[in-house]
Amino acid sequence: MSDSSVSSKNLFGYVAEFANATDLYHAAEKVRDGGFNRWDVHTPYPVHGMDHAMGLGKSWLSAFVLCGGVAGFSIALFMQLFTQISLYPTIVQDKPTNLFTMPAFFPVTFELTILLSGFATLFGLLGLMMLPRWNHPLFNSSLFQKFSDDGFIMVIEARDPKFKRERTREFLEEIGASKIEEVAY
Amino acid sequence: MAGLKDGDDFKDGEFFKNPFILKVGVGLVGFGGLLVFLLLNLFLPEKRGEMSYSWLFAVVFFLSLSVGGVFWTLLHHATNSGWGTVIRRLMENLGSLIPFLLLLALPFLIPNGYQDSLWEWFPKREAALEKSEAAAEEGAAQYVVERQSEIAGAEAAVAAAEAELAAVEAPSAGHRAHFERKIDSLKTKASKLIEQDLSEDAVHETLLNRSFQKEEALLYVKKGYLNEGAWYGRFIFYFIALSGISLMLRRWSVGMDKTGDPNQFLWLRRSSCGFLPFFATAWTFLVFDWLMALDYTWFSTMWGVYLFAGAALNSMGLLVILITILRRFGYLKNIVTVEHYHLMGKLMLAFVIFWAYIAFSQFFLIWYANITEETKFYLTRNTEFWNTYTITFLVVGHFFVPFSILLIQKVKKLPLVLSAVAVWNLCMHVLDIYWIIIPERGPSLTAGGPPSEMLMVMPWAFLFDILAFVSVAGIFVFFLLWRLGSASLFPCRDPRLDESLNVVN
Repeated sequence: MSDSSVSSKNLFGYVAEFANATDLYHAAEKVRDGGFNRWDVHTPYPVHGMDHAMGLGKSWLSAFVLCGGVAGFSIALFMQLFTQISLYPTIVQDKPTNLFTMPAFFPVTFELTILLSGFATLFGLLGLMMLPRWNHPLFNSSLFQKFSDDGFIMVIEARDPKFKRERTREFLEEIGASKIEEVAY
Repeated sequence: MAGLKDGDDFKDGEFFKNPFILKVGVGLVGFGGLLVFLLLNLFLPEKRGEMSYSWLFAVVFFLSLSVGGVFWTLLHHATNSGWGTVIRRLMENLGSLIPFLLLLALPFLIPNGYQDSLWEWFPKREAALEKSEAAAEEGAAQYVVERQSEIAGAEAAVAAAEAELAAVEAPSAGHRAHFERKIDSLKTKASKLIEQDLSEDAVHETLLNRSFQKEEALLYVKKGYLNEGAWYGRFIFYFIALSGISLMLRRWSVGMDKTGDPNQFLWLRRSSCGFLPFFATAWTFLVFDWLMALDYTWFSTMWGVYLFAGAALNSMGLLVILITILRRFGYLKNIVTVEHYHLMGKLMLAFVIFWAYIAFSQFFLIWYANITEETKFYLTRNTEFWNTYTITFLVVGHFFVPFSILLIQKVKKLPLVLSAVAVWNLCMHVLDIYWIIIPERGPSLTAGGPPSEMLMVMPWAFLFDILAFVSVAGIFVFFLLWRLGSASLFPCRDPRLDESLNVVN
C-alpha cells in the first residue's frame, strides 16, 4: 500500500530495507541501543550473531522442552511402575516384579521423554510465535516480501513505546535504511 | 561486521614453550614408574599375571584418548567442518601419541605371564592342540587299520553282490537292473573309501581336528580368528593402521603451516575419507582382541562402538581441559573463544548420551534375552563389590550427572565449569575402562584352583593398577608436551582459519 493511505490510526509500523547483511547488523545494534523492543529483522539467510546485535536474550523454548521431557519421563515411569509393580504384577521372561525390572521400562520411558519434548518444542514454538494466525499486516507491504529473495529488512512496529512517526523515520534513514515504507493494518 | 578476526594476522602461528621443569618432572614420573613396574615384574614373577591386567588397563585408557583425537581429526576433515580448525592441531597432537602407546603395548606379545594371563584362549588353545597332537600320534595306526578294514569290507560287499547276480540263472530284465543299481552304489561307496587320503599327514590332520573339537569346542569353532598367527597379524595391522593414519594426518597438517598450500587441505579431506574405514576397523578389532577376548567365550556386537563412544567423548573432554590450561598460561588467548567451548560442550553432551545409549543397549539386550553364553560378562560385573561399582559410577556417574549438568546451556559457555565436567567425565572413563578389564582378573587368575579359593577381586592388586596408570600417564603427558612444542598450536595457514576464528553458534 502506498504511504498516502496510511493514517496514524491504522499505522502498523515501518518496513525498512538495508543494502546488505552488514548494514542491517549495525543498524540492529543501533536500534537495540535506542531502546526499541517491538521490532524485528528479516533476512534471506541466517545471519550469525544477529541475536547478539538485536540484544535478544535466551529463548524460553528450552524451558518448555525441559518441562515436556520431565513430564514424559515421569509419566512413563509412573505408568509402568504403578501398573507392573503394584497394580497388576506380571512376570515376563522370569524377570522380577520389582524395581530391579527397571531396565525393561527404560525404552518406553526414553521414547515418551522424547515424544513429549518434541511436542513441547513444536507447540511451545508455535505458542511463542503466536501461530497459527490468518494473516499479518506485514503481508500488505510489497517491500517486505523481498526478505525471501534479496532484501535485508527491518520492521519497527508502531506500538513500540519509543515509536514516533516522524522521528523513527528519520532514525531509520540515519542508520542507513535505503528504502522505507509505512505499513497499514 | 565489527571485530572480525583476519586469519592473516595469525599466519605465524603460536608456539608452545615447554616449561623445562614440567617436562622433566612428568618424564621422571612416567619413565620412573615404568622402571619400577619393570623391576616389580622382574622380582615378583608370581604377580606378573596381576600386573599384566594393570598394564592393559593403563595402556588401553590412554590409547582410547588418542584414538578419540584421531577420530575427531578424521571427522573434521571428512565432514569439511570449519568450526574446529583452531583446535584441530591439538586433536592431531593427541592422536599422534598412538605409536608411543602401541610401543607400550609390546609386553602383550610376551607369551609367558602376560599373554597367557590376559587371554586364556592362548594357553587353552595350546594345551588343547598339544593334547590333540598326542592323541593324533597315538591313534594314527589304529585309524589306518580301521579305514583299511572298512575298504576291505566295502570291496567284499561288491564282490558278494556280483556273485549273487551271477548265481541267478537267466535273470529277468527287472531283476538284472535291480542288481546293477545295487552293485553301482556299492562300487561308488568302495571307491570313495579307497580315494580317501590315508597318507600320514592327512590322517594326522583329521585326528587332530577331531580331538581339538572334543577338547575345546568353542576354540575349535573360532580357530579361524582365535589363532596365534592371525592374532599377531592383526597386532601388526593395528600398529601400522593406527600409527600410520595418526602420523600422516599430523605431518600433512603441519606441512601446510609452512606452505599454506590449499591443495594439501583438499588432499587431507580426501585422504581422511579413505582412512576412516581402516581406522574404524583397526580400533574395533583392537578392542575385540584386547578387551572382549579377555573372556573368549563371551561376545557382544556392540563392543566396538561402545569403546568408540567412550573414546570420542573423553578425548573431546581432554581437549577442553588442555585448551583451558593452555589459555591459563597465555596461549590461544585470542584464538579460542567461548563459542568453541560451547561447540565442544555440545559434542560432549551428545557423546555422553551416545555412550549411555550404547552401554544401555548392550546391557539391555543381554539382560532381557538372558542367554547363558551372553550373560557371563554382566554376571561377573554384578557380583560382590562390582555391583555397587557399576550402578554408582557407570549408571549415575557416567551418565546422569554429566547429562544433567551439560544440559544447561550456560555451563557449556563457562570454560572452567566445562573443564570440571570434562575432568569428571575422564574420571568416569578411567572407571569404565577399569570396569571392563579388571573384573576378569580375579576369576581368570584363580580359575585353576578349588572353588573356595576363587577370588572376584585380587587383594592389593589395585596398587599395581595405580602404578601402571601413573607411569603411562606420565609417559603420555611427556610425549604430549613434546608434540605441543614441536609445531604451532593451531593450523596457522589453513584455508578455513578465518571461519574458525570467527565462528558463532
